[in-house]
Amino acid sequence: MRFADFTPFDLVLLAQGLGVSLALFLTTTVAGLLLGLGFAVVHHFRFPFVNPLIVAVTEALKNSPVLVQLFLVFFGIPALMQIRMTPASAAFITLSLNTAAFAFVIIRAGIESIDRDQIDAAEAFGLRRIQILRRVIGPQALAFSIGPIVGILVNQLQVTSLISVIGVFDLTKIGNILNLRTLEPFIVWAVIGSIYYVCAKILAHSGARLERRIRRSYAWGEV
Amino acid sequence: MRVWRVIEPYIGFLLQGFALTIFACLLAIIGAVILGGIVASMRASQRSALRWVAHAYSDIFRNVPFLVQLFFLFYGLPELGIYIGAFETGVIALSLAGGAFVSDVILSGIRSIDRGVIEAARVSGLNDVKVFLRIVLPIALRVSVRPVGSVLINLVLTSSILSTITVNELTGVAKIVAAETFKPFEVYAVLLVLYASFTTALSLAIVAWHRRLNRFMTGA
Repeated sequence: MRFADFTPFDLVLLAQGLGVSLALFLTTTVAGLLLGLGFAVVHHFRFPFVNPLIVAVTEALKNSPVLVQLFLVFFGIPALMQIRMTPASAAFITLSLNTAAFAFVIIRAGIESIDRDQIDAAEAFGLRRIQILRRVIGPQALAFSIGPIVGILVNQLQVTSLISVIGVFDLTKIGNILNLRTLEPFIVWAVIGSIYYVCAKILAHSGARLERRIRRSYAWGEV
Repeated sequence: MRVWRVIEPYIGFLLQGFALTIFACLLAIIGAVILGGIVASMRASQRSALRWVAHAYSDIFRNVPFLVQLFFLFYGLPELGIYIGAFETGVIALSLAGGAFVSDVILSGIRSIDRGVIEAARVSGLNDVKVFLRIVLPIALRVSVRPVGSVLINLVLTSSILSTITVNELTGVAKIVAAETFKPFEVYAVLLVLYASFTTALSLAIVAWHRRLNRFMTGA
């Protein structure tokens, strides 16, 4: 037996890598969705000067490679501002902002999809703008945007593999290590790929169920 | 201008990388569109085996990270006795990944076609192959120009990942420049602008093409 062969401990390594990937995915999803929602609400209330800024930042994030954004945050910001940055925090900042940019665009479209008449009617009933946003626009915008949001989340799960490039020990990095040690690229990358595949499928599946449930609870007027 | 002072000595080198990015993207776009068209027609076919294979391909390549696919090919192909350069491997990987997404878009274009149009073509005496090539595919492509465009823009952004397998395209070159100048922020900020301008140009071209293809359409 060579020292380079697969060992049972590799399973622990894989589980660790998967844990890092999933933890980063979950935290950046929560942070990104909240931030994106915040952007969309701010955008809805049309504060002066803020809207063009939000649009410019989100467009820049959507139109540039995530890898370059990672490099900018991980190498660029510490060099510019003379601060320390760990790979994990750079990954967290970049992926959260990225998710926020995509979420912002979807939620904004959801808010804008609501008929002007409904808002006029709500205003006629004397609801305040914040109430209209919560009671009238919010639920419908949620039902509208949940599908596309699940779509981008499946995508973001795959984007997390890029953080291995700046040295976070996620699933892909573990794959790299195993690949270099065992020199069995077919087995290693097929296993890593199928783990990602299964995660993406579970995510898409549960997303579809959530979407159905939300749409059902908001469906009205159909007999 | 501080940024310009940092970038200026390396501008030729960066533009070389940019040219390689554009070249790789153009090859991959051609590959992805051709592959996507073929796979979409397989997924729309009557034979269940063809349909299954094509569906499995696009399902796998859409749900596995591109980085993993790239490493699989980059480290795996030499094991099979296929020795090609990193650039070629990168272009193949990009085409494979892009083709999976493009096939999805074209398939939904095919499905959006009115049954009546196909039946009318059949009644006029065209056989199935002709109906597909002359009627279904042209309409489907016309409908899918815009969504295919956003897939292709994504492909351009994804091409930055080729720098991880030693292809010195724009991102790879920028890494070298950042390491030599110790000014990573300025270098990567310029990089963001270059990528954004490339994708913007691409999306403008797609809008123009969409308008040209649909110039005889009225309404939607």
